[in-house]
Amino acid sequence: MPSSEASTPTPATSTSNDQLLDLFEHAPCGYLTAGPDGRIDRANRTLSDWLGVEPGQLVGRRFPELLPIAGKIYYETHFAPLLRMQGAFDEVALDLRRGDGTVVPVLVNARERRSADGRTVSLRITVMRARDRRRYEQELLDARRRADAATAELRELTHTLETRVAEELTQRQEAENQLRQSQKMEAIGQLTGGVAHDFNNLLTVILGGLETIERQLATPGKDPLARIGRAVAMARQGALRAATLTARLLAFARRQPLQPKPIDASRLVTGLADLLQRTLGATIALETVAGAGLWPALADAGELENALVNLAVNARDAMPEGGRLTIETSNACLDEDYVAGVPEPLPAGHYVLIAVSDTGCGMDQVALQKAFEPFFTTKDVGKGTGLGLSQVYGFTRQSGGHVRIYSEPGHGTTVKLYLPRCLDTRCVDTVAPQPENQASPRGSETVLLVEDHEDLLAYSVAVLRELGYRVLAAPDAAAGLALLGREPEIDLLFTDMVLPGGVDGRQLAEEARRDRPGLKVLFTSGYARNAILRNGRLETGMDLLPKPFTGEALAARVRAALDR
Amino acid sequence: MSDVLDRHHVHVSGHGARTMVFAHGFGCDQNMWRWVAPAFEDRFRVVLFDHIGAGRSDLSAFDHERHGSLEGYAQDVVALCRALDLRDGVFVGHSVSAMIGVLAARQAPELFADMVLVGPSPRYIDDPATDYVGGFSAEQIEELLDFLDNNHMGWSQNMAPVIMGNGDRPELAEELTNSFCRTDPDIARHFARTTFRSDNRDDLAGLAARALVLQCTDDVIAPESVGRYVHARLPDSQLVLMQATGHCPNLSAPAETVAAIDAFL
Repeated sequence: MPSSEASTPTPATSTSNDQLLDLFEHAPCGYLTAGPDGRIDRANRTLSDWLGVEPGQLVGRRFPELLPIAGKIYYETHFAPLLRMQGAFDEVALDLRRGDGTVVPVLVNARERRSADGRTVSLRITVMRARDRRRYEQELLDARRRADAATAELRELTHTLETRVAEELTQRQEAENQLRQSQKMEAIGQLTGGVAHDFNNLLTVILGGLETIERQLATPGKDPLARIGRAVAMARQGALRAATLTARLLAFARRQPLQPKPIDASRLVTGLADLLQRTLGATIALETVAGAGLWPALADAGELENALVNLAVNARDAMPEGGRLTIETSNACLDEDYVAGVPEPLPAGHYVLIAVSDTGCGMDQVALQKAFEPFFTTKDVGKGTGLGLSQVYGFTRQSGGHVRIYSEPGHGTTVKLYLPRCLDTRCVDTVAPQPENQASPRGSETVLLVEDHEDLLAYSVAVLRELGYRVLAAPDAAAGLALLGREPEIDLLFTDMVLPGGVDGRQLAEEARRDRPGLKVLFTSGYARNAILRNGRLETGMDLLPKPFTGEALAARVRAALDR
Repeated sequence: MSDVLDRHHVHVSGHGARTMVFAHGFGCDQNMWRWVAPAFEDRFRVVLFDHIGAGRSDLSAFDHERHGSLEGYAQDVVALCRALDLRDGVFVGHSVSAMIGVLAARQAPELFADMVLVGPSPRYIDDPATDYVGGFSAEQIEELLDFLDNNHMGWSQNMAPVIMGNGDRPELAEELTNSFCRTDPDIARHFARTTFRSDNRDDLAGLAARALVLQCTDDVIAPESVGRYVHARLPDSQLVLMQATGHCPNLSAPAETVAAIDAFL
């Protein structure tokens, strides 16, 4: 109260003292004053009513004594220093203890009056009830806490989700790697049959060479050194071919991650032709047609080879009676209309097409629709896992390409692989092409020798000629039949069971016997997947010399066949 | 070097052969020495600082683990005193900083020759097993910590900026809040836990420096029995019972405080 007002009394002063007292006691806020020692010297009725005590009970106590323990500590450590330093504090939210032990939530303002030297003269404190406000604050605090908790939970959830997705991805990748490897091993299994056959041929060549050397050393014939030299060269060539084959097989089986690189699809197909031919067996002709000016494709070379082996295996099984497998490469433009009809996302543009066509039994609509499903197979139990085409599909999709099957029951199937064109033409990975192809050796005497393996044919011819036979040699059934038609003096047909060009040794023999019913036949075979075991027996006048064979065995069995 | 001084918002004033370091307690900052520290500037180099988490210290330097024990605060004190090349100085610590000073002196005995402990308490919670009376039951301290978790008292000063949207109009928040003793509520809670759960009774006996214990009348935070306990356990100490009431004689009775320190030094 400014003292000037007090010193100018008005006529109303005598009555207004009561009014002022009433105003103090019953003001709509709590009010108290304290001395320099902080002890309350006066508290109004409103405050004592709120606290449920007599005003006199508050006198002599310090303000912090009205607070619960926590408030007391907070007041002493925060607001008492604040009051001294600022001379006041405002809107401090506190709870006051009531006489009955309950608390009243209030807002407190305080002012210090100071002497000239800064010491506390008196303290004035107003108290406002703040129950609603406190409830509202509590709600806000709770809401904030819930929001914080939810945010934390969300962050945790996001983190967990990310971790889980990463784990899933790793697991999935691992599973895909395993699947790819097992698909490859499946293909290896298919390849092994063909390769074993080839290996036996090569072993025969090598053993034959060694035997020739042995014989020449024991009883030298005419010009033994030249003969030994030829035998060594033949054996070495056989061994080198075997080594190449082993290396290819090992390279194929190697476990390695997908590495899309620019590749020349035509060269890859040519390089794989040898392996594919082994897989197909001799009754199926393999034809490769390389498109002119072929673009490089972007794909993993190993997986593409795997896909082609899988397709070749399927084609072989679709052509149990033999046939033709054609692999063509060409450039292709898939336009918007085409890609619109493709279920998977596929950008329109340039692709490298590899079309694999067979002349087999084809697929009906039901089989076509399920063809790419893993483990779907039309093959007998034990003959295929059903993973072949699913590998082809998975590989093409992973390469950003597209695969489509056209099939006509009874006519054949074409599988078209569209691989994305690689626009970076700097480095096209070259697949080492497989050189050499069989050429037909020629001759003219009484044993007709049909053998598709060049080295083995040469070796066998040499052995038989050395024994004095007249030998006619043919690389396949067609050539053999032609010779049979031309040459009346053929006493023995000595033929490999597995032959290229669509007619095997058995069919050749049947054909030959149609014209010459008594013709003696000696078969040879290292590996013939189904040809020999198909009905388990050989007809009369027919004999089998298993590969690998020695020159001695050959001589003995040819003699025996002729003498029978 | 200057990093640690910046982090603690260090103020150096006065001049003298010896240095006096003033350390504030829980709830305040170096402002609380405003009426005491200047009285020594003519004879001492006077150092004021804020503990990490208080006043204008670098809040980003607050480390829940390091500052989860008084030892961590003591390491801060040692680091900043070494940055100031302190030897044989005077440490004046209020409230919890009295014990922080004792710990710092034990970590680096060369720093302080004299210790002024204003309202010290080596343990706030009673320990019936050893007949120790700290002034609070364990339940009461839990009540305080719970209370801080639901900080209504701090609401108006700490929450107002949030409600007003302090990002847009910081000047409004400045007007609304009480200008001293503002702390980040999380740090305040952490400091309270660290302070009120501390027990450094066994550290008293190892103090090499001579010590003055300033004990107020009617101090709720550190009762007279605690002051006497500290005095009894310190190897070389004096106890002064002050006329001043409450917990902050440096603010409520600065002249008496200055006189007591002067007499001790």
